[in-house]
Amino acid sequence: MHQFTRILAINARLILQTIRTQGAIRLASFVFVISCFFLGSYYVLFRVFTYLIGVEIIGPGLLDRIIEMSFFVFFIMLVSSNIITSFSTFYQNRELDFLFAMPVKPATIYLAKLFENCLYSSWATMVLALPMLAAYGVTNRAPWLYYPVSVFSVFTYLIMPAAIASVLIFLIFRIFPNLRSREVIFVALGLIIIMTISYIKISNPHMLKILETESEQDLLRFAANMTSLGGIYVPSTWLSNVLQEFKSTRPNPFYFLVLMSVTVSVTVIAYQIAKWLYARSWMRIGEHENRNRRRSSLLKDFRPGIARNLLSKDILLFIREPSQWVQLSVFVILLAVYVFSLRRTPLYFTLPFWRTVVSFANFAYVNFILATLGVRFIFPALSLERAGIWLLGSSPIPRRQIFFTKYIASLIMTVILVQGLLFMSNIFINTDPGLSVILPVIGLFLAASLVSICLGLGSRFPQFNEDNPSRIAAGSGGIITALISIAHVGISIIILAAPAYNYLRGKYMMRPGNPLLVALCFLLFAAVNAAAIVLPIRIGTNALEKRDY
Amino acid sequence: MANLQIKDLGKRYGNHWAVNNLNLVLNRGEIFVLLGPNGAGKTTTLKLAAGLLNPDRGEILVKNINIHQNPINAKRHIGYVPDEPFIYNKLTGREFINFVAGIYRVDRADYEKRLDFYLDLFEIGSWIDEFAETYSHGMKQKIIMCQLLVHDPEIILIDEPLVGLDPKSSRTVREVFHAKKNENKTLLICTHTLSFAQEIATRIGIIDHGTLKFTGTLDELARIAGKKNIEDIYIGLTENHA
Repeated sequence: MHQFTRILAINARLILQTIRTQGAIRLASFVFVISCFFLGSYYVLFRVFTYLIGVEIIGPGLLDRIIEMSFFVFFIMLVSSNIITSFSTFYQNRELDFLFAMPVKPATIYLAKLFENCLYSSWATMVLALPMLAAYGVTNRAPWLYYPVSVFSVFTYLIMPAAIASVLIFLIFRIFPNLRSREVIFVALGLIIIMTISYIKISNPHMLKILETESEQDLLRFAANMTSLGGIYVPSTWLSNVLQEFKSTRPNPFYFLVLMSVTVSVTVIAYQIAKWLYARSWMRIGEHENRNRRRSSLLKDFRPGIARNLLSKDILLFIREPSQWVQLSVFVILLAVYVFSLRRTPLYFTLPFWRTVVSFANFAYVNFILATLGVRFIFPALSLERAGIWLLGSSPIPRRQIFFTKYIASLIMTVILVQGLLFMSNIFINTDPGLSVILPVIGLFLAASLVSICLGLGSRFPQFNEDNPSRIAAGSGGIITALISIAHVGISIIILAAPAYNYLRGKYMMRPGNPLLVALCFLLFAAVNAAAIVLPIRIGTNALEKRDY
Repeated sequence: MANLQIKDLGKRYGNHWAVNNLNLVLNRGEIFVLLGPNGAGKTTTLKLAAGLLNPDRGEILVKNINIHQNPINAKRHIGYVPDEPFIYNKLTGREFINFVAGIYRVDRADYEKRLDFYLDLFEIGSWIDEFAETYSHGMKQKIIMCQLLVHDPEIILIDEPLVGLDPKSSRTVREVFHAKKNENKTLLICTHTLSFAQEIATRIGIIDHGTLKFTGTLDELARIAGKKNIEDIYIGLTENHA
């Protein structure tokens, strides 16, 4: 235990040291951006929750089910992201050579790394969950005890996926000792997907079946049958019940105790398995990775040219790093599931008016996802030059060219992804032809600005001492970038909401439009996006050119 | 003719001058070895000369081109090797060398000739097609030496070239440096290996607390220090000026 606390203390000291060296302006801007995000999210969620609670018969129940469903989705996402990050944390971290060479028990190293992994893979969930908890508490007029208990419960909730993910990786290594790192990640993710789909199929939740009726009897029956998404055996149900208990005057601690005891049990089991398997699998992976030999690649032959070589190098490093492409694959699979789920749009939403609303909401959603993806994959791009920064810095390459090569490559990938998503989703939603043309064009501007924000701030706040892209994205610079990106999408969507509403009114309500308002909104959108493209590029290139390496 | 001129160079970290008022002229066909205790400013000097750090004072001219005003043209003549041989882990040695040669736009015929020659010379063998993550420190150093020699720079800046190398490879490196000197290249080398410095240097510089204390040939330094053994000279000079 002493060794465990020492390892944690060293890591905590490193984090504190990093915070101390950030400078007052950066810290202040960090606090400001975080506060704006929390307040903004809290306000939006509070409005949504207040509206839902006001809906007769099904409103309060629906709100609880939405909260529960969010926690269920968070749980699955957390297990997946923990699988991906645990590989680098438990096996590829440079600190491990040092730790394993010391007289420290492998299980102690495991606990320290479990804590670290949990922190790095779950920060985004916490950032999203805190405003949600606050809005839920205020909407339901919860007592003061609700706030510390709910925050503590969510913290506890984050530990279980990290423990499950690590155990899964250890066991796969034990059962299939000849698998390589990427194959292990794939098997683990495959298992999680299969288990999730099977569980949903078996538990067959009513809440996923959208009701279409005008009969009050049917509505009451639907409300009564609105069961939990995962049933009583999944942690998301326990956590949401912990929150719901505070609606009564005397909250029952049953679900809180279930959550705590299961978390402790899972962690103890994981600890015991780690005692048995961790050191063995760690040594084994060192032996296995030595077998890699590549026979064909983009850089197999010598070809002169700066951009070509920079690009080839970036592509090779991306496709050879499991923590990069596996996570991207998971995102793409989830997005594909989302897009194909649009095919089953309830009949109610096939009315032209609602179809347009859904198209616009889908556009907003796609861009919010893009903002998240940008932080995870584009923000770390310059920090990942860590190993070669001495080379790039001393070579006859204009540093701007390094930046713009990455910008163009990221933009192409982003545009392909966004346009593909919009194209497919617009077909499934059967979007109005006018919007089918306008939204992808607007999407191009947003893609250009989001790539600029992520890469520009990635250049301004690099972490050359870190080679794990997830951790780079989870640093203070990554969090600021995430919040700015999300805020930028939010502002753009708010600006575009007015012309969209105008379009709806004109087309489906036969009311005259306001061309001046539409023109002003598009001008404002263009100005905001031009600033969001130009400013981060300037910040990023200046930082790259003036930095000491 | 001067290949590298360093004038009144200064680099500050906070209130501490890591390099202060450094003046140095390196000619063609010269191997200049910079010696000094840990933290004396050797690596900072090398990084400034390579254009990796921005000076707070002074200037560096590479073949009469100011490296901070015209970095791209100046860097075309430079090859730099850091003290820690970092290579992209997920690239093979061959891919890494191809990448560097591609960026320096080496002539294809020269490239193939040089690559084969240096791969043989450093006995890299089949390791060239393995990922860098599997390399030992010495193997990384050999690959980095190869990438440097393949683009054949006029000015070579190397920080601790012998770290991690086996005795045979160390001898190869010494022979290569002599060959480069004979080809009229300029070499600026930082090292702690005094015997290596004694063997290859045409001139030696001793830097301490960011200031260049002495420059001259080994004989001149021995005369000033009143000692013949380079280790005694070095310790005497750095202790006197500590």
